[in-house]
Amino acid sequence: MMRLDVDPALLLETEEQRQLRAVLRDVLTAACGPERVREQAASPRGFDRVLWDRLGGEIGVHGLAVPEEYGGAGYTFAELAVALEETGRVLCPAPLLPTVVLAGEALLASGDRRACERWLPGIASGARTATVAGVLHPARVAAERGPGGWLLRGEADFVPDGAGAELLLVAARAPDGTRLFACVPDAATCRRTARRVLDPTRRQAHLRFTGAAAEPVGEPGQVPATAAAVLDAGRAALAAEHVGGSAHALDATLDHVSHRTQFGRAIGSFQAIKHRLADLLVAIEGARSAASYASACLALRRSELPVAASAAAVACTHAYRLATTEYVQLHGGIGFTWEHPAHLYVRRARGDEALFGTGDDQALRLAGLLGLAGRGG
Amino acid sequence: MSGIPEPAEFRAEARDWLTGVAKERTAHRHWGRGDDSVAVFENWTEPEERAHTDLTRQWERTRYDQGWGALGWPSEYGGRELPSYYEQLYRAEEAAFEVPRRTEVFPVTQQLVAPAIRIWGTDEQKRRWLPPMLRTDELACQLFSETEAGSDLAGVRTRAVREGDGWVVRGHKVWTSGARVATWGVAVCRTAPDAPRHAGITVLLVRMDAPGVTVRPIRQMTGGASFNEVYLDDVFVPDTDRLGPVGEGWRVTLTVLAAERLDSGGLGLDNAERALDLARHLPRPLTDGEQQQAAGLYVRGLVQRLTGLRVTAALAAGREPGAEASVGKLCATATMRATTDLVQQLLGPRLAADTGEWGTFAWTEHLLGAPGYRIAGGSDEIQRNILAERVLGLPKEPKGERS
Ligand SMILES: Cc1cc2nc3c(=O)[nH]c(=O)nc-3n(C[C@H](O)[C@H](O)[C@H](O)COP(=O)(O)OP(=O)(O)OC[C@H]3O[C@@H](n4cnc5c(N)ncnc54)[C@H](O)[C@@H]3O)c2cc1C
Repeated sequence: MMRLDVDPALLLETEEQRQLRAVLRDVLTAACGPERVREQAASPRGFDRVLWDRLGGEIGVHGLAVPEEYGGAGYTFAELAVALEETGRVLCPAPLLPTVVLAGEALLASGDRRACERWLPGIASGARTATVAGVLHPARVAAERGPGGWLLRGEADFVPDGAGAELLLVAARAPDGTRLFACVPDAATCRRTARRVLDPTRRQAHLRFTGAAAEPVGEPGQVPATAAAVLDAGRAALAAEHVGGSAHALDATLDHVSHRTQFGRAIGSFQAIKHRLADLLVAIEGARSAASYASACLALRRSELPVAASAAAVACTHAYRLATTEYVQLHGGIGFTWEHPAHLYVRRARGDEALFGTGDDQALRLAGLLGLAGRGG
Repeated sequence: MSGIPEPAEFRAEARDWLTGVAKERTAHRHWGRGDDSVAVFENWTEPEERAHTDLTRQWERTRYDQGWGALGWPSEYGGRELPSYYEQLYRAEEAAFEVPRRTEVFPVTQQLVAPAIRIWGTDEQKRRWLPPMLRTDELACQLFSETEAGSDLAGVRTRAVREGDGWVVRGHKVWTSGARVATWGVAVCRTAPDAPRHAGITVLLVRMDAPGVTVRPIRQMTGGASFNEVYLDDVFVPDTDRLGPVGEGWRVTLTVLAAERLDSGGLGLDNAERALDLARHLPRPLTDGEQQQAAGLYVRGLVQRLTGLRVTAALAAGREPGAEASVGKLCATATMRATTDLVQQLLGPRLAADTGEWGTFAWTEHLLGAPGYRIAGGSDEIQRNILAERVLGLPKEPKGERS
C-alpha cells in the first residue's frame, strides 16, 4: 500500500468509454427497463435474444476484450467493464458475465490456441452463449477417454446460465489430473435442471453428465491457474456490475426522497435520511475507485490483479448490500411491493454473494494474499 | 526548469531529488526498531513544539529553495506553475521517504491560507505574504471557532471596529491549532453587528505577536496541547492586513473551509499502514475474524488512496472532479477509526497497560487523537450535510430562529 504505482489516468474514463456508456445507457433504457427485465427473465430462455444480438453485433460488446486474432475488437477489459456497469445498472438478464467473462477468460487463460480459435469467435460475435462449471463451486465430474474421445460423467451445481448455455467449460478430474474440457451439451448425455433461484435475472442450473462428449482445453495441471484467472476476472466484472446496480439504487432513492412528502416536508430534507444517503455515496464512490483499479489491473495484466480484484470484491459487495438495503427502506411500503423493482436488486446483490462469495469470504482471501495473518500461523 | 514534464517523468525526477536529500523509508523502517510514534496530535511542550516546527520548516525551505516546494504556484512566488495535481504526484513519492511529519499549521498555511490569499488578496498582499508563507518563514493559524460558533461558524462574535487606518479587534477564539508557533492568525470577525449574519463578517490577518494577543494552550483528550484559546484584547490590525472586502468575510472563510475539506483525503493512511504491519508481525496467528478486519482496513486505505488519485486524474485531464472530491474527509475519519478498532483487537492488554514493548502502548496516541479529526475541519455530520445538499442535491433542513 505504501507506494501505489498506478497512473492516475487509468482510473479516469476515456472519451471512447464515455461514448460507449452513453450508447449503452440509451439502448438499455429503451430495451431493458424494469418491465422488460421481468418479461425477459420470465421468457423460456431467460433473456432477449434480439437485444443480445444487438449488443454483440451492432454495438460489439461481447468482443470488446477478446483479442483481434480470435474475432474480437481487441480493446481491453476496461471497456468491457463499462458495458458490465451499464448492464448491471438495469439488471439485464442476458448471460454476458458467464459467456464473455467466465468462459471467455477460461479459454484465454488456458493458453490453448486451438480451443481459442475454435470457440472465441462465436463468443465474441454473440453467436454463442457459454459458461463454466466446477470453477466457482467445486464439482464432481470425471473425464475418461472413450473410443471416440473424452467423455464426462458426474455432477456440477450452481452453474450460472447452466441450463441454457450452448458451450460448457468444465473442470473435470482426468486420469492425468484435473483438466478443463469444452462440452457442447446435448440432452441425451447431459441432464440440465434449472434451479429455482433467488435472482431470476441470473439463472443457475444443476448439471448431470452421463458420458457427455468433450474436448480437453489446455494442459493437465493447469486448472488451478486457469480457475484463479477466471475468478479474478469474475470479481473484477462483478465489481463493475455492482457499481452500476448501486448507482441505480442511489439515483432511484434520491428521486423518491426528493418528491415524497411527509410531515409537510420532502422526506429527503430529514437529516436521518440525508446522512444515510451521504454514507451511501461515500460507499459507492469507494466501490467505483476499487472497481476501476481492478479493471485497470486486469486490462494491463498486472501482477497486482489478485489483490486488486479481491479488494474490489470487498468494497463493491459492501456497497451493493448497503445500496439495496437503503433502496427498499427509504421507499417505505412501496419499496416492499412485488411491483417495485427494488427487490430485484436485493435479489441480485445477495444472489451474487452466494454465487461468488460474500464480502467476508473475499476479505479472508485478501488477508491471505497480503500476509495479514500474524506469525506462527 | 521550464515546460511541464510528463507525470511519469516528473515522478521519477521527484524520486531522484528525494533520494539525494532524504532517507528512503523502506530502507530505514525496520519492524521493532526506530520511532514507534503514531500520534495524530502531538503531545508536545511548547519548546518541543517549537523545535519540531523548526525542523519541519527546514525541510519545507529545502523543498522551496530547490524548486520542489510551491509546485503549482507562479514563478513570482517561487513556484514552477505546474498543474495543481503535481503536488499530489510529488506527495505520493515523498510518502516513501523519511521526512518530518507536518503538524497542522503547515498544511493550514500552505494549502488553506495561501490559496485563499491568492484568490482574495491584493497584489501588494500577495507579494508580501505568499513567498514567506509558501516557504513557511511565516506560519498561519485559523482563528475561526468560538465557544458559541463552531459548526455554525457564521455566528462568530469577535468584533472588529474601524479605527483610523485599521481595526480594533476584541474577542475570544478557541480550538486554534498551532497558535503557539504561528506568526499570523486568520481571524473571522464581525464588523457589522446589525447586518444579516453572513453579511456582517470580515476576515483580518492578525500578527500573533501583536500587543493584546494572548495564547493559552488547551489540554486535549490526548493529554497534550496542540490547540489553544486565543484572546484578542483590543488588538490593532492595519487595514492593509484585511483579506477580501469588508463584509465579504463569509465568502473568504468558505474558500478556506473548502480547501480544508479537499486537503484531508490523505489523513490516517500512514497509521493504517502501520496497523497492517502490526497484523503481519503479531507474534501469534490471527483468527479468521481478525484477518477479515485487517483486510477491511486495507481496503479502506486502498480505496481512500484511489479516490484521491481519481481527483488528481480528473484535474490532470482538465475536468472538474465529481463526487469523488468531496468524500475524502469522511473516508479518512472512517479509516482512522477502523485503525483504532484493529489495533485494539490485536494488542489486547498491551494497548491499555504500558509493558515497554515497542509499537504497543504507543497506539494510545492514535486511539485518543483520531476522534479529533471527526470534529475538526467540519465535523463528520457537517460533511454529510454538505454531501447530501451540494452533491446529492437534497433539500436543506429548515433552520431555527436567529440563523
Ligand atoms: C483537534 C481539533 C483542532 C481544531 N483546530 C481548529 C483551528 O485550528 N481553528 C479553529 O478555528 N477551529 C479549530 N477546531 C474547532 C472545530 O472547527 C470545531 O470544534 C468544529 O467546527 C465543531 O464545532 P463545536 O466544537 O462548536 O461543536 P458543535 O458545532 O457544537 O457540534 C457538536 C456536535 O453537534 C453536531 N452538529 C452541529 N451542527 C449540526 C448539524 N447542523 N447537523 C448535524 N449535527 C450537527 C456536530 O457534528 C457535533 O457532533 C478544532 C477542533 C478540534 C477537535
